[in-house]
Amino acid sequence: MLSRIAESMFWIGRYVERAEDTARLLQTHLRLIIEDTQAHEVDACRNLLALMSVDHVEDPTLADLLGILGHDPDEPTSIYSCYAAARDNARRAREVIPLDLWECVNATWHQLPTAPFGTSGAHVFLNWVRERSAMFGGISRGIMVRDDGWQFMSMGRSLEQVDMTSRLVASASLTHGAQWPAVLRGCGGHDAFLRTYSGLYTDREAAEFLVVDARFPRSIMHGLIAAADSLQRVAQNNMMTARHAEPALRSLGQLRARLEYADLDDLITNLNEEMSVVQDVTTQVSIAVSTSYFAAEEPPAWTTEGTR
Amino acid sequence: MADVLSNYRTGDAFDEMMDAEGSVRPSYRAVYGALTRSTSNDLRMIAESLANNYTQAGVTFDVGGVERPFPLDLVPRVIASPEWEIIEAGVAQRVRALEAFLADIYSEARVISDGVLPSQLVTSSTHFYRAVWGVQPSNGVRIHVAGIDLIRNPAGDVRVLEDNVRVPSGVSYVMTNRNAMITVMPEAFANQRIRPVAGYPTRLLTALRKAAPPGVDDPTVVVLTPGVYNSAYFEHTLLARTMGIELVEGRDLECRRGKVFMRTTAGLQRVDVIYRRVDDEFLDPVHFRGDSMLGVPGLVNAVRTGGVALANAIGNGVADDKLIYTYVPDLIKYYLREDPILANVDTWRLEDDEAREEVLDRLEDLVVKPVDGSGGKGIVIGPRATKAELDALRRRVKEDPRGWIAQPVVQLSTVPTLIEDCLQPRHVDLRPFAVNNGEDIWVLPGGLTRVALPEGELVVNSSQGGGSKDTWVLSPPPHRSSSNRTTLEHSENGDDRDKPRTGVPLTVARIPVTVMPKFSETQRQQEDQQQQANPRSRGC
Repeated sequence: MLSRIAESMFWIGRYVERAEDTARLLQTHLRLIIEDTQAHEVDACRNLLALMSVDHVEDPTLADLLGILGHDPDEPTSIYSCYAAARDNARRAREVIPLDLWECVNATWHQLPTAPFGTSGAHVFLNWVRERSAMFGGISRGIMVRDDGWQFMSMGRSLEQVDMTSRLVASASLTHGAQWPAVLRGCGGHDAFLRTYSGLYTDREAAEFLVVDARFPRSIMHGLIAAADSLQRVAQNNMMTARHAEPALRSLGQLRARLEYADLDDLITNLNEEMSVVQDVTTQVSIAVSTSYFAAEEPPAWTTEGTR
Repeated sequence: MADVLSNYRTGDAFDEMMDAEGSVRPSYRAVYGALTRSTSNDLRMIAESLANNYTQAGVTFDVGGVERPFPLDLVPRVIASPEWEIIEAGVAQRVRALEAFLADIYSEARVISDGVLPSQLVTSSTHFYRAVWGVQPSNGVRIHVAGIDLIRNPAGDVRVLEDNVRVPSGVSYVMTNRNAMITVMPEAFANQRIRPVAGYPTRLLTALRKAAPPGVDDPTVVVLTPGVYNSAYFEHTLLARTMGIELVEGRDLECRRGKVFMRTTAGLQRVDVIYRRVDDEFLDPVHFRGDSMLGVPGLVNAVRTGGVALANAIGNGVADDKLIYTYVPDLIKYYLREDPILANVDTWRLEDDEAREEVLDRLEDLVVKPVDGSGGKGIVIGPRATKAELDALRRRVKEDPRGWIAQPVVQLSTVPTLIEDCLQPRHVDLRPFAVNNGEDIWVLPGGLTRVALPEGELVVNSSQGGGSKDTWVLSPPPHRSSSNRTTLEHSENGDDRDKPRTGVPLTVARIPVTVMPKFSETQRQQEDQQQQANPRSRGC
C-alpha cells in the first residue's frame, strides 16, 4: 500500500475517533458544569481546555468551550476540524476506502454546523456526532477488507482512543466529588462497570476498569493491545520491512507493562502524571509509525547550474 | 397539470428531440412520453434528488477552488443506433490517423517530406517535444485514450470540433451520470434498451496493461494525479477505484536507473505503466518545467529507455494542436487512404495572408481560438465580444498568426433542459471517448454530453460552468444480426446487448433460513397472566 495512503488511513482513524471522544468528553463535562454551581464555570472550562492542551483563551465561558471543542472551524481541536481533517484524508484515499464509508464521512462534513449553539443545541449536536462516528465504525467494520489500509486505520483509531481515554480519566481528578460515575457514563461504560463490580465500588475500581481492564473496549489497555495488534499484522504482511514496526511496538509494550503492573493506589494518587505518560507514549508511537511507514520526503529542490 | 413541454419552442438550431415541424423524432419517443407524464413539480424533485445525490457522493468539479456538484440535467441526450455507428466509425478512424501521424512525426516524418504538411507547422507547435523523438512505445500506442469533441450543425450533420489526445477528461461523469439517472428515473429506462457504459474501466485497464514494457507479464499500472486540488481529481479517484489500481502523486514515485518505483509501506515497488493525468510540461522537472512539484525527476529518461510506459504518451499535443486539426482530413487520406467519415468544422488558418485578411475584416461574425488551448480558455466569440476585446484580439492575431484559428459561429444542436420550472432548448456538444489497446479502437457508447445552461450560450465547457446530460445510445433493434455491424465492435469483455435476457427458474432446493427459537406459547401465556393477575403487587 502506498505510504501516503497509509498515512491518510491512519489519520482518518484518529480524527473520527477524536471527534467521537471529544463529544463524549464535552457531554460529560457539560453535565457536571451545569449540575455544579455557576461560580465554578470558568475554572471548570479552563481545566477542561487545559486537558485538551488549549491555553490561548483567558477566562473561557461555556460558549467558548462549545466553540473551541465543538463547532468552530478555526480551532484545530474542535469536532468540526476533526471531521474536516477526516474528510480531507478520506478524499485523498478515496480510491481505497469503500464508497459507503466515503459517503458517510462526506455527508457528515456537509452537515456540520458552524453557527454557535446553546447548551440544549449542544446535546443534539454531540449526540449526532456520536451517531455519525458509530455509523463510520459500523460501515468500516462491516465492509472493509482487512488489508494494510484497515490495519493503519485501526491503529490510528486505537491510539487516539488511548490518548482520549487518558484525558477523560485525568478529567476525573479535576473536580472533587462524584465524578467517576460521570466519566464512566461518558465512556458508555457505566452499566457494564456496575455489572462487573456488582454496584459496589470505589475510585480504585473505576480507575482499574478504565485503565487496565482490557475487556472494556474503551479502556486504555484495550486500545494499547489493539494498536500493537494492528502493528504486528502490518509487520506480518510486509516481511521485508517487518523491523520497521519495532520501535513503536516497544513503546506500546513498555507502557502496557507499566500500567499492568502498577500499584492501583499509586496510580490514583498520581493520576494526572500517569495519564500524561500515556499521552506522551501515544505521541511517540505516532511519530515512530510515521517515520517507519509514511516516509516523509523533502520536496525536491532544483538549483540551476553555474552562471549563464 | 401543466404540461412541462407545452411551451417548448425550438430555435434556428437543430433540435435533438423535435424536428422543424414540431413532431418528436423516433429516438426521443420514450423520453418524450415520460416527460409529458410529469408535472414541473415532479421534475423539480428529480433535479433536487440528482443534485443531492452528487453532493453526498462528492461527484464534484472544482471551479476556482470551490467544490461544486457536477450539474447533471435530467433530460438525456439520445442517439439512435444507426447514427451512433457512423460516429463510432468516424471517431475510431480519426484516432487511427492521429496515431499514424504521431508515430511518423516522432520518427521519419514522411508526412513532411511528402509535402502533406509544412515542416514549420510541426516544429512550431508548442507541444512538439524533441525529448521523445525516436521513442517507440512497446505496442505502438501513443493515444491510449482520446476524446473527440463533436457538434451537430443546423443542417443536422455531425462535425468534429476538436481532438483531445493529451489527457482528455470527463469520462467519470459519463459513468456517474448513468448511475444517478437509473436511480431517479428508472421508468424512462424501462421501455428501451440503452447501451451500457460501465465497461469503460475494464477496457482502459486492458489497454494500459497491453502497453507495458516488453517482458513484463503482470504489469503494475497506476494512475498519476496532480493531487486533490486538481479540478478533475474526482475522475482520477473514480478511475483508480474502478480499475482497482493505485492512485499516486508525483511525490509517491521515484526513478532509479531508468525504472520507476512507488513508495509503499513494504518498501519500493516497481511501476510499469503510468496512466498519467498530469500535463507534459509538469511531468519531469529535469526535462520540462524545473519548478514542477507534480512530476517525477527522471521520468522522461525512464520512458526513453523503455523502463516505464506512459499513457498517453508525451508529445501528443502536437496532434491536437488546432492548426494541425485543419489538416486531419488530409492526414486521414494520406495515412489510411480513406475518406474522412466525419468532417471538420470550416476553419481559417490565420497564417495564410488571404485568410487572415478575410477573418480580420469580419472578426465580429467569427469564433477565434488559440491553437494550443483547452477547456474553452482564450476563445473569443465575435458576435458577443466588445469592440475593445475585438481590437485586442486583432492585435494578438497579427503578432502571432500561428497561434490562432478562426471558425464560423456554429449553432450547436439543442436538447430540452430543465431551466427553473420548465424545459427549454439549450445547446449541447458531445465528447465520445475512444480507448486504443493496440489491436483495436473501442469507442464508449455515448460519451459526455455537455450543455450550456444560459440561453443562447454556445461555450459548453465544464470549466466554464456548463452542465452535462446522460447520453443514451439506443441498442439496435433485435432482428439485426451482429455480423452486419462494423468490425470495430467486439464482445471480449464488453456489453452483451444482443443476447436475449431470459429468466432461469430456480430449481435448487433451498434450506429455510434459521430463526431464533420462540418462547413456548405456554410460557408467554403464563407471563402474561402474571401481569393480569397481580397488577398491584408490582408496585410494592
